[in-house]
Amino acid sequence: MKSMEHSHSKYLSNFDNWAEQKRFVDFTDKDVEFLKKLHPFAVEYADTFVEKLYSHLMTFSETKRFLGDEKTLMRLKLAQKSYFIDLTSGEYGKEYFNSRIKVGIVHQRIGLSPRIYMSTYCYYMQLIIPHIYGNPAFDADTAKGIFSALYKIINLDQELAISAYIHATDEVISRQTEEILEMSTPVIQIWEGVVAAPIIGMLDSSRTQQFMERLLETIVTTNSPVALIDITGVPQIDTATAQHLIDTINAVKLLGSQVIITGVRPVIAQTLVHLGIDLSGIVTRPTMASGLKVALDKLSIKVIDSSKE
Amino acid sequence: MDENTLSVIKLKNILLVTVPDEPGDDIIHELQTKVLNAIEKYQSKGLILDISNVNILDSFFARTISETTQMVALMGGQTVIAGMQPCVAITATELGLHLGKAISTLDVDRALDIFSDNFKLV
Repeated sequence: MKSMEHSHSKYLSNFDNWAEQKRFVDFTDKDVEFLKKLHPFAVEYADTFVEKLYSHLMTFSETKRFLGDEKTLMRLKLAQKSYFIDLTSGEYGKEYFNSRIKVGIVHQRIGLSPRIYMSTYCYYMQLIIPHIYGNPAFDADTAKGIFSALYKIINLDQELAISAYIHATDEVISRQTEEILEMSTPVIQIWEGVVAAPIIGMLDSSRTQQFMERLLETIVTTNSPVALIDITGVPQIDTATAQHLIDTINAVKLLGSQVIITGVRPVIAQTLVHLGIDLSGIVTRPTMASGLKVALDKLSIKVIDSSKE
Repeated sequence: MDENTLSVIKLKNILLVTVPDEPGDDIIHELQTKVLNAIEKYQSKGLILDISNVNILDSFFARTISETTQMVALMGGQTVIAGMQPCVAITATELGLHLGKAISTLDVDRALDIFSDNFKLV
């Protein structure tokens, strides 16, 4: 709920853009007048339309599963009715804007694809058109005006819903990206004086920054002269990744600690040589275990297998 | 920063200097002169620069450290930089600053270890 309000509030700041959007589709006061003319009919037929729409939706398994039990269905129908009536209400201000934004966000949240609700607009149009062109209350010009106005407001509605939908999706993606970023660069102390940092995934510049900060911070707090950077989880290495790695190694050196690169798989070794990346000044090992051995040697620590004594 | 006179401490055959948190250009210059004079006076075989208070490293400071290291080497001593802050290390790497032939250690204790081990590097 909170996240919804959050994205909602973000959208309120975009309300100013909506006036521009209206101008873009040439939605004028004239259109508002035309829509108002349709309003009495919309109110009169709202129930019929909603019933027709829902019985239509019920015939598709994809939409049926969203409609739920009798109570939910009642609530949805009521919401749909007010949505429909609002369409011709003549008030297209902030409140209208908000309600349309909400449509997009809610649909994103329940996982109903835009494909479905975009098509719902089309079905709506089919239901309304006979009431415009076949209506004795409107002459040909009025009918044309109403149709055009309706087309514009529906386009505006769609734009809002889709933008909100995309925005809500983007938010999920950026949150997940952040989580992955956090998750994929842990730095752990594995021995007194030895920290290990397994890198999972590609090392780009934003991750390097984060990774470097965390590694250096941990080296200083644990007072560790040796740091193992494990690249088993790095799928492929390119010159940029290698450079990031070298930068990190140099920064660690400045602190007075030494880096051992572990998890150098054959394919990584091949790539490094083919790319001409020189890691000759750096200790590299194929596995974390062998890297740890080197680290312990440097610290003059001996690990003894007590069963063999 | 008037009272901020740099003190060069003699520990047996080593010199220890603690660099203040925001070393100005004149302090850095003073550091070089004082250190070199002290090496001449005490025949020290090493210099430990404790920079654990320093949060900002500029190019002038980096260059002076690198030069001082060379000068100390010419006078027969080894320079050890102790306790660099992570943020300083990151900035130095990003700017491509080099500290020349100076060795780094995590803290002053480890710097002293280097000298007692007779330059056996970790």
